[in-house]
Amino acid sequence: MAQRGDPPRLRQYVAVRARLVGSGLVVGLLLGGLGMAGWTFYTGDAQSSEATVFALGALVFGFGLLGWSGSILAGRGIEAMQEHMGTRSNWTERDSRRAMARLCGGGGGIMVGTSIVAVLL
Amino acid sequence: MNWTQFLFRLVEPVVPPRFVIKRLLLLIPVLFGVASVVFAILHLAPGDPAIIIAGQRASAEQLEQIRVELGLRRPLWEQYLSFLWDAARFDFGQSYSISRGNSVRSVISDRLPITLELAIYGQAAGILLGLPLGIISAVKQDSLTDHVTRIGALTGISVPIFWSGPLLILLFSTYLDVFPTSGRIKSTLFLPDTWMLFGRELPLTGMITLDTILLGNTEAFLSAAHHLFLPAVVIGVYSTALISRMMRSSMLEVIRQDYIRTARAKGQGAKITLMKHGFRNALIPVVTVIGIQFGTLLGGAVLTETVFGINGMGLTIVNAIGVSDYPVVQGTVLTFALLFTLVNLLVDVTYSYLDPRIQQ
Repeated sequence: MAQRGDPPRLRQYVAVRARLVGSGLVVGLLLGGLGMAGWTFYTGDAQSSEATVFALGALVFGFGLLGWSGSILAGRGIEAMQEHMGTRSNWTERDSRRAMARLCGGGGGIMVGTSIVAVLL
Repeated sequence: MNWTQFLFRLVEPVVPPRFVIKRLLLLIPVLFGVASVVFAILHLAPGDPAIIIAGQRASAEQLEQIRVELGLRRPLWEQYLSFLWDAARFDFGQSYSISRGNSVRSVISDRLPITLELAIYGQAAGILLGLPLGIISAVKQDSLTDHVTRIGALTGISVPIFWSGPLLILLFSTYLDVFPTSGRIKSTLFLPDTWMLFGRELPLTGMITLDTILLGNTEAFLSAAHHLFLPAVVIGVYSTALISRMMRSSMLEVIRQDYIRTARAKGQGAKITLMKHGFRNALIPVVTVIGIQFGTLLGGAVLTETVFGINGMGLTIVNAIGVSDYPVVQGTVLTFALLFTLVNLLVDVTYSYLDPRIQQ
């Protein structure tokens, strides 16, 4: 995390990324917690609810992580290919990376939210 | 100079080590992501590993004991972290069913060379046939050769492995009796587990054609090549077709460039211009296809091995899914992911060697 004495650019760099992942994390926490509580209320089995909701969170987290690294690995190439082929698309590597980071945070949030509610139940 | 410095010195003229390190570091989140997805899918899939191990007739106490032993009663987050830690060490425990009692690592090390051999032959066939066919097709555009190559490529891309495999078996094995239907070597031939190099005993690779060469056993080599021919053709056809199509279109674009015309105007021979200036530039998009193609070949190996009854990673993964042998599924899927990402790293390096602008 950025410290008080850090140069402003680094602090800004970390803050932007933390906000991006953090917003996803908060939404994920809510979704995970509510999903776990709702599923348990519906099925009456906390253990199987935890398994299902946690696994869904891991799935979202995994896809987010794959998408994020995939965007970094191949994003510029895809942009160049689109430009080369003359296709009109608004897809950019930056947008994809940001969206995937948010998805990653969301998946992580679901996992954490589910675990917290599972402990409380 | 230590070995790391030596390695950097070695690759520096080809590609900057920083570029390779950056790419290598990106492999970590990729594998981490794949591991998470595998964990999620296996936990969402129906089936109880305890019942698979103990059988349907096991008592409730026995099942509970197995669940505790496997760690399935621990909190999910603990199971998830433990799974990631095991995946990082490539330790997936023991197989429940398809190779009961053996570690997943040993199952993979036994079967990976079989699939790799198949994929390498398929890829080699694709490159060795696809590149020249694509170049000839581009140079002789709209000639009979070009039309035949294009139709052949289109057919090769359109025909799926699960259809072409049984059809080739029916033709060459059942009716013509030229090639065997399944297996890797004649059943009367047996290979030792080790080979000798300068008086030292070394283990064999598991790639049967290479092993027979190392052993100097010509009869076994011919038998292995004979058995491998049809599966390699099936897996190589798609690769050849795709590479030749890509090479043709890429070459057509390059040979119309001004620098090719300038080279010809300065008196350079047609063949030299084509190979020296045209080929390298036309190769850039083809290299990407070859890298992605390797992943398709690994996927194709699942079908090819199932059709030809070859006990490699493909057949293992199919069988493991069928009997819910989760540790084997996890191990094989992660191995495929690791292989695919490593091949793509190799493609990136080749790519940046062919076009240094990419390193920027």
